[in-house]
Amino acid sequence: MNEATCRRCESPLEAGDLRCAVCGDVPERLVTQVVSEGMEQTVLRCGQCGAATRYDARSESVRCPFCSGELKSEELTDPVEQTEAYLPFTVDREGARAALRSWLGNLGFFRPSDLKSAARIEDLRPLWWAGWVFDAQALVSWTADSNAGAGSSAWAPHSGQTDMVFDDVLISASRGLTDKEAYTLSPSYSLTTALPELEAPSDDATLEAFDVQRSQARARITDGIRRAAASRLQENHIPGSRFRNIHVRALLTGLDTRRMAFPAWVMAYRYEHKLFRVVISGQDARVMMGKAPISWAKILMVVAGVIIAGLALGLLAVLFS
Amino acid sequence: MTVPDPRFATAMTSPAPHSPAIEISCTTCGARVVVEEDLRTAECPYCASPHVVERPPQAGRPDPVFVLAFTLDRDAATSIVKSWIKNRGPFVRSGLKEGVLERTRGVYLPSYLYGARAHANYTAKIGENYTVTVTYTTTDSKGRSVTRTRTETRTEWRDLAGRYERYVTDTLVTASKGIGNAELESVEPFDLRALRRYSPDLLAGWIAEEPSLAGEECRRTAQAEMREDIGVDLAAFMPGDSSTNIRSDVTFSDEVSHLVLLPVWVFALRFSADKDPIRILINGQNGQVGGRLPTSWAKIGGAILFSLLALAAIFVAVGLFS
Repeated sequence: MNEATCRRCESPLEAGDLRCAVCGDVPERLVTQVVSEGMEQTVLRCGQCGAATRYDARSESVRCPFCSGELKSEELTDPVEQTEAYLPFTVDREGARAALRSWLGNLGFFRPSDLKSAARIEDLRPLWWAGWVFDAQALVSWTADSNAGAGSSAWAPHSGQTDMVFDDVLISASRGLTDKEAYTLSPSYSLTTALPELEAPSDDATLEAFDVQRSQARARITDGIRRAAASRLQENHIPGSRFRNIHVRALLTGLDTRRMAFPAWVMAYRYEHKLFRVVISGQDARVMMGKAPISWAKILMVVAGVIIAGLALGLLAVLFS
Repeated sequence: MTVPDPRFATAMTSPAPHSPAIEISCTTCGARVVVEEDLRTAECPYCASPHVVERPPQAGRPDPVFVLAFTLDRDAATSIVKSWIKNRGPFVRSGLKEGVLERTRGVYLPSYLYGARAHANYTAKIGENYTVTVTYTTTDSKGRSVTRTRTETRTEWRDLAGRYERYVTDTLVTASKGIGNAELESVEPFDLRALRRYSPDLLAGWIAEEPSLAGEECRRTAQAEMREDIGVDLAAFMPGDSSTNIRSDVTFSDEVSHLVLLPVWVFALRFSADKDPIRILINGQNGQVGGRLPTSWAKIGGAILFSLLALAAIFVAVGLFS
């Protein structure tokens, strides 16, 4: 997919990159060689009047002092991220609607009894949300406190170093979905279905664009890698069962990032004049996340029941003692 | 563990090339122009065009890899430095605020952008806090002896050892004898996202210096700077409620360095006919001012003396009227 890789950390370089985003090295073809003995002189001349030009700090370009002809030497590139691949919808409108209905019916006891029948679906909209998917290898150095080996204090310090391989880790770039929604949906996608072109499934599909520039995107990806590493460390590497102060430093190699669009159905339903939002994966209707009303009447009933039962028990105890 | 890196060797380990002043002819008017030692470009004094004559390429003199172009022009830099001087405190040497700015120069300062893979073995004492309930006896207001309790926070110290590895990037060190590293640091940071590939057009009309420090010396400075950064980062890396005695041996591998030209405005502030002017640097990218104006000990002494006298006067006055 990428033609050049960094010779030091083997991360693919992207078009327009002057330096490797991971380790800061400079690709070979850029490093200018020491020029052999030659006495040729370079002078820049204005294309219009032929006078020598000078660089102008105000316009940040090279300008001819005589005729004000301007020539842009090199555009600075911090491009806005562009989507490279799209995952197709496999859940259709009816499927999404049915999934929402059955979800509303299975939320448990504390929801209003008529939720399923009284909720009206107001809006059902397909959209693609934006996210990064990365692969990388990392040598992770870490320290943390955990309960393992604790003495007088509840915490004991631990440290270690471990190799990690990250395959297809998804980081949300979405503004529309919350991080939690995106995180809930992410296991439902099959990345192998990705297509380079957008296949519009329906009329009103929205495509969320990446609205961050490359430099910011990298900061967020690095952040995502640290979080992914920290959660893996808790599962497999740090001894103990309770953790705090997890510090991670990652030495990345071969960081490959893809920009993808993920399909989702975003639904709004109304129950008693209030709107609730539900997000359903466009590739697996069972994976969804949303908000639903709580029946305070039922909760009050249960609380009252518990109190009455407690009182009754107390009374019985008094009577029989 | 500093294995010589072939890439590194080409750029930095070679001694600073000796660059004698040379004479080349201006391509606009044909006049002979001297390009000073340690400069890459020179302005032709004879023709009206603000045209810069660049040295022809020469073996052993590396071309810069990157340029950070000026975004601040002369007028903007001058007004920044003027308001900076005006806002210095009252204790600067007299005459400084009325001093004359002379020899304003926009200079592309050669520096090395240094990066490496850092390895460290560290040991530290990590403090983990816990609370205990302490029982103690004291006497109450009526003189009776009573027993009370209070909670105290105590710290349990544990040893921690480990290994730490990461990339260090974006360390800038000066390659110029004229402007030292501390002086460069006073106008850092530069926004490296604006780096451009070196091309002679970005220098057109500006003075660019050649690196004059030996590569090995720059490398030592860079390593010292990176060690300092790693020390700070290691302290932040430690777990626990507190940490102390952090010791580490830091080594570097995969070192790379690239020659970057940084935009710096240099001002000379002349405040007295018999004294050397003071140099003030300005970051040509974001306008940060570096430099310190000397304070006048006479002024500070005078102020102290004055306040002492005022105090004494008050005491005397109080004594007289009471």
